[in-house]
Amino acid sequence: MNGFTKAIDDRAGLVDVASLVETDRVHGRLYTDPAVFEQEMSRIFYGGWVFVGHDSEIPDQGQYVRRTLGREEVLMVRRRDGSVGVMSNRCAHRGNLVCIKNQGKERYLTCPYHGWVYDLEGKLRDVPYPGGFAKDKAEFTLRALRSESYRGFVFASFTESVPPLVDHLGKATILIDRTCEMSPTGRIRLTAGWSKQRFYANWKMLPENDTDGYHVNDVHASFAEAIDSQYDAAAMGSETMMRSEAKDWGNGHTELDFSPTYDAPLKWLNSTPERFPEYVQRMLAAYGEEKGNRILRNGPPHAVIFPNLFLGEMNIVIFQPVSASEAVQWHTPLLLEDVPDSINSRIIRNSEAAMGPSAFLLADDSVISERQQMALRDRADWLDISRGLNRERIDELGVIVGHVTDEGTNRGFWQQYRKVMTGEAGVGPRPMALSA
Amino acid sequence: MTIADAPGQTTVGLEEYHHISAFLFREARLADESRYAEWESLVEDDMLYWVPRGEGEFDMNLDISITADNRSRLRTRIRQLMTGKRHAQVPVSAMRRVVGNIEAERMPNGEFRVFSNFILHELRRSSTATVEVWAGRVEHRLRRRPDGSLGMFFKKVMLINGDEPLPSLAFII
Repeated sequence: MNGFTKAIDDRAGLVDVASLVETDRVHGRLYTDPAVFEQEMSRIFYGGWVFVGHDSEIPDQGQYVRRTLGREEVLMVRRRDGSVGVMSNRCAHRGNLVCIKNQGKERYLTCPYHGWVYDLEGKLRDVPYPGGFAKDKAEFTLRALRSESYRGFVFASFTESVPPLVDHLGKATILIDRTCEMSPTGRIRLTAGWSKQRFYANWKMLPENDTDGYHVNDVHASFAEAIDSQYDAAAMGSETMMRSEAKDWGNGHTELDFSPTYDAPLKWLNSTPERFPEYVQRMLAAYGEEKGNRILRNGPPHAVIFPNLFLGEMNIVIFQPVSASEAVQWHTPLLLEDVPDSINSRIIRNSEAAMGPSAFLLADDSVISERQQMALRDRADWLDISRGLNRERIDELGVIVGHVTDEGTNRGFWQQYRKVMTGEAGVGPRPMALSA
Repeated sequence: MTIADAPGQTTVGLEEYHHISAFLFREARLADESRYAEWESLVEDDMLYWVPRGEGEFDMNLDISITADNRSRLRTRIRQLMTGKRHAQVPVSAMRRVVGNIEAERMPNGEFRVFSNFILHELRRSSTATVEVWAGRVEHRLRRRPDGSLGMFFKKVMLINGDEPLPSLAFII
């Protein structure tokens, strides 16, 4: 790979993560130590698979979007042959950002610094004043990341030798299937743009909180008082009444499954079939009575795909780490293909209600995370994640299932974290760093 | 020609301009002081409170907004703030904003369309105790009530950094 990734043996400087993550507790240092963060960059964000975006964001040849993976600037591009590629947004000449706009459409990607021109595959095609440049252009590219997609969800890795994406997703392909099957065509469209929310908190608090069913009554008490919603029954009932479940799907993928609570179609949309008869009709026509009704009743998953993707019901969410004490949560509404506009408009409005800086829910989550970060700042020791160890079970799929308020989801996240951070996860025993 | 096309043009009389400016200053002060009920009393039944992801061509029905409240959702927003359990505003942010560059025009139906700029400093007392700076352009639409006072039926806040990561924005901006 032309020195793209270079193994560096910095094991002497590695943090002993195994001693900081136990089954029922994790150490506060994991949220605050810059050395831990550096190790997360190399092991998790450059060593394994991370979510980049969805192919519906770039339908046409030459369309691109900018993303930040770990701290690296990349482009997701629709190439000339129609495939989707992920490449570094760093000119191979002097390291300038090639694209500065968040999205665009180009026939060639031209670096604004000295005018080097790359094609959509990232190959260097032209260099101004070629008389003074004797090297072979083939040696210079916008370096391609390893990338694979599943049902349009594009993932990439900076490590060429990473095992196939399906190995990482494991059983969680079922969760992505369920997301896509909210559409009668099985296709979603992420075309409404991304809203971005800054958390002055460690990035791991985002996936942890998103599948923590225990905080809902307290953090979202004001929401429950101000408005009736599907979450009243799904996540805010009494301990014995709530039928929703917390699930550990393996490989760090975790879910709050609200579907056992929903006893009628479209409750997940806080609506009824009478309001959206055309959508119901198209879903039943597409999937048949039995499966169609099941989808319409169960609704979309509420699940984290390790490490940086959240299938947040009718939202798609990306976690972007910035530093040990700062992160950005991106979200976009999960729009559906071939449904009445009224459904997609409703999804956009629901998205604003739940997610983003001014939302009824996430505005409070971010502030709670920030308070955690402040309290953990220095001498915090162990944090407890034991809740529900006394009552979890394993279902027929091998998924660990607990009460919706239990912390099996967080335990699942941390077990995967420990494996990856200590090199037990089969993504290369050595941390990978980008060459300068 | 509208103000949006020709900034600098003022098409209302001095006295009306004064009334409109006074309304904007009062609206800003009530928002700064988190006096939600008094702020809500300025709002008409057909209110739209919209914070798109900045200036530019955003379509509320196609693009995700930061906030897109109709009257009913705005009522819910204020009800949530008034529970006293809206953590993102417990305690409420200390805020002061400066409103300026006010340009107003009268629409053919007698309603007013008003553009202004603002700079808001917010002390985030609910968590980091840091000062955030918010800046942008606002479009207000106002109409006379039967008693002669002004009411607001549209407020669009175009943050200069609306498309960048924003911290919690649970207050009325």
